[in-house]
Amino acid sequence: MSAQRTAIKVDGSTLLVRIFGYGFIGAFALACFLPFMLVVGTSFTSESSIARHGFNFWPRVFSTFAYKIVFENPDLIIGSYWVTIGITVVGTAVGLFIVAMTGYALQRPDFHYRNRISFFIYFTTLFSGGLVPFYLLVNQYLALKDNYLAVLLPGLLSPFLIIMMKSFVRSIPHAITESAKIDGAGDFTIFLRLILPMTTPALATIGLFIAIGYWNEWYNAMLFLSPDMKYRTLQLFLYGVVTSADFIKNSSAASNVDLRDLPLESMKMATAVVATGPVILLYPLVQRFFIQGITVGAVKG
Amino acid sequence: MIKVKKLGAIVPALTLAAGLAACSGGNGNGKEASPGADGNNAGATTTASASASQAAGAADTSKFVKISYVILGDKPKNGQFDAALAEINKLMKQKINAELEWKWVEWADWQTKYNLLLASGDPVDLITIGTDWLDTWGNAQRGAFMNLDDLLPKYAPQTWESIPQEDWAESKYKGKIVLIPENAYTQWVNHGFFYRGDWAKEAGITEPVKDWDGIEKYLQYIKDNKKNVIPWDATAGVSTFGGWVNSYTQELELPISTGWLPVFTTKSVDDPYTVVSPIFDEDTMLNYATKMKSWADKGFWREDVLNYKGDTRTLLKGGLTGLDQHHTQTFGTLRVDMDREQPGSELQMYPFARTNGNLLELSITHGGTSLGAHSKNPERALMAYDLIRNDEQIYRLLNYGIEGVQYEIKDGKRVLPAGYDPKKNEFYSDFWGGRNDKLEIPSSTVWDQLPTTLYAEYDKIKHPYPYGQFVFDKTPVDAELTAISQVTGEMGPSIAFGKAGDPAKAVEAFKSKLKAAGYDKVKAELQKQLDAYKQQMQG
Repeated sequence: MSAQRTAIKVDGSTLLVRIFGYGFIGAFALACFLPFMLVVGTSFTSESSIARHGFNFWPRVFSTFAYKIVFENPDLIIGSYWVTIGITVVGTAVGLFIVAMTGYALQRPDFHYRNRISFFIYFTTLFSGGLVPFYLLVNQYLALKDNYLAVLLPGLLSPFLIIMMKSFVRSIPHAITESAKIDGAGDFTIFLRLILPMTTPALATIGLFIAIGYWNEWYNAMLFLSPDMKYRTLQLFLYGVVTSADFIKNSSAASNVDLRDLPLESMKMATAVVATGPVILLYPLVQRFFIQGITVGAVKG
Repeated sequence: MIKVKKLGAIVPALTLAAGLAACSGGNGNGKEASPGADGNNAGATTTASASASQAAGAADTSKFVKISYVILGDKPKNGQFDAALAEINKLMKQKINAELEWKWVEWADWQTKYNLLLASGDPVDLITIGTDWLDTWGNAQRGAFMNLDDLLPKYAPQTWESIPQEDWAESKYKGKIVLIPENAYTQWVNHGFFYRGDWAKEAGITEPVKDWDGIEKYLQYIKDNKKNVIPWDATAGVSTFGGWVNSYTQELELPISTGWLPVFTTKSVDDPYTVVSPIFDEDTMLNYATKMKSWADKGFWREDVLNYKGDTRTLLKGGLTGLDQHHTQTFGTLRVDMDREQPGSELQMYPFARTNGNLLELSITHGGTSLGAHSKNPERALMAYDLIRNDEQIYRLLNYGIEGVQYEIKDGKRVLPAGYDPKKNEFYSDFWGGRNDKLEIPSSTVWDQLPTTLYAEYDKIKHPYPYGQFVFDKTPVDAELTAISQVTGEMGPSIAFGKAGDPAKAVEAFKSKLKAAGYDKVKAELQKQLDAYKQQMQG
């Protein structure tokens, strides 16, 4: 292989493109990477050093105090991690399935009420009930207070993702469905065996959206999972660490809170590092699907 | 995911609207709940459980109930609070056959969560309120709280009798008591400068500093004599303009936010209903801008002060700066910290109000407790509150934790017991709904001379807070207020830290921008509402 590669001659223009290409992409990657380095560096810097010298890529005064505070109760952070991972995995799997099914059904020409049902779904993007009805629904009618389902269910379906899925599935000719029907396949078989495999790129994209949504979930957790629950989602836990420190430092409303020496700046960075870690690992795995596009020429002749 | 995100974004806007929508329901249920209470009073036998003996006046405590108390704060993670609460509940069970549940609303988006709890009609019993920071009047308007007039004398007699009538008067919405004020607890959140007594002495300042010129002299001494010390390592997040107004005018600050600095004030204690402005009237703003420009030119703070993000309190403790600015409560603990970290520093406070004697008390409804309109056991909830506020044993358990674990009493002061591990033993309950000086034990972490120094000084000049019941309805001028806040945030810091060039020109530019943002309209609206408030207070 390598022998072959050296044998190919590179002409001038290609070389130029390469230099520019690599240079540009390299610079771009650096622009993405450096801020993250700054976050990591700062998270290991002592607070007084940040106060004096500002943020640095490389800690001037090394300190792990911020992480100590974040990991003050290791079982809590590990528990929150598991809750978030559980919700993300289950939510993404179920959500993806439902979104794909809805998207597919809504564009099948032989589905009579498709436009009407689509309208119901779109309508919610224009007018939403608002926070209080949402809270009442989940809390009182569905009685999901202090139940992980309260965090899981609202994220399963979103009109935006259904629209995305629908327009993607539209690019698969209806002829496929029909031909499979003639061959005797049921609707569910068609969906599972034919449609799903052909929509992998869309599934990867939408799956990533859903997964990140669940991974970053703190709002519903804040609303519905009370502090009496030992483990809540990771983001809510971290958010709590930072906001309470912030509050203790700056508030005059809570004038009797005992002031603790909290490394606020480095702590923010440490929580960012703790929260991003696993998502960074997720990207390389899904990334190849984004660039793949539809390569299957399914209808022949 | 998108849906969820969007919800998050529209929350602040919708909370109010949604709260209003929920208002009618709230009222209806509130009315439903109170006949139940009356029925209990009269010993009516409509309910099946009325068989218990009900001597006239004694409440029926035959049925065991749970009483929830909504408070703000993050639940301590070390289990110490639960331990103390278990002790409290033993007493509660014994005295009123009830159990207390502490419901935390965490600082993560507390405004939304707090208002949501009230708007959604969750059956909360007791709930922390604050008229100046928790939108209590707005919630009262939406029918979130139960009227307490009939219930209080019967079920919370100690509280009822210990609070003077004029304080009850401040707790009324439309003539009905809707909250129990935290009127018996001394707290001062009036701001001022903190400076080091030792350096002031070196600078030849022997008397307590009584104006900004005194502070200037002190800062100049540090600049000239202390190497590596930034006289005032200020950050642009905090405005001192309010302090200047406090020092050099008789104007009063209004409970209305105009962003980075106050734009509207009222004339004085003698005329608290006339709107004026420290920016437009007199030369208050110009004098301030000129002074700050001169401080900037003298190099009292950093060149890059507007972008600087340091923590001036940490720096003060490290001996790297000579000045800090915050309120009296903060000073109380900071003084002890400083005595430990910079022995001999003798931290002092110059309260802005000292110059002109312009000092308002903190509103007695800055903290307090209300009863949710949907409370299922209003009588028992009030009985529980009466105990929390007046029973020494319960009060101490709730506020300080368990004696021997969280604190010991030594020479009449609370100290940490030997072997106290902050991580394992730290305790707080975030109870700001009715603290009581009578039952407080002084703490060793708060400067013990506060009562004899600053508090005594304040007591001589303080005036009662006039706006405890003022509810500013900002809907007619919402857009203008937002625009004004934007202008103050944009131009305020550069003027306040002498970075806006010629002070006179900068102030003029500031004024014209405020005018363009709708200054006149807001002022007129404010005056209109204050006139109505005046009627209410005097009529």
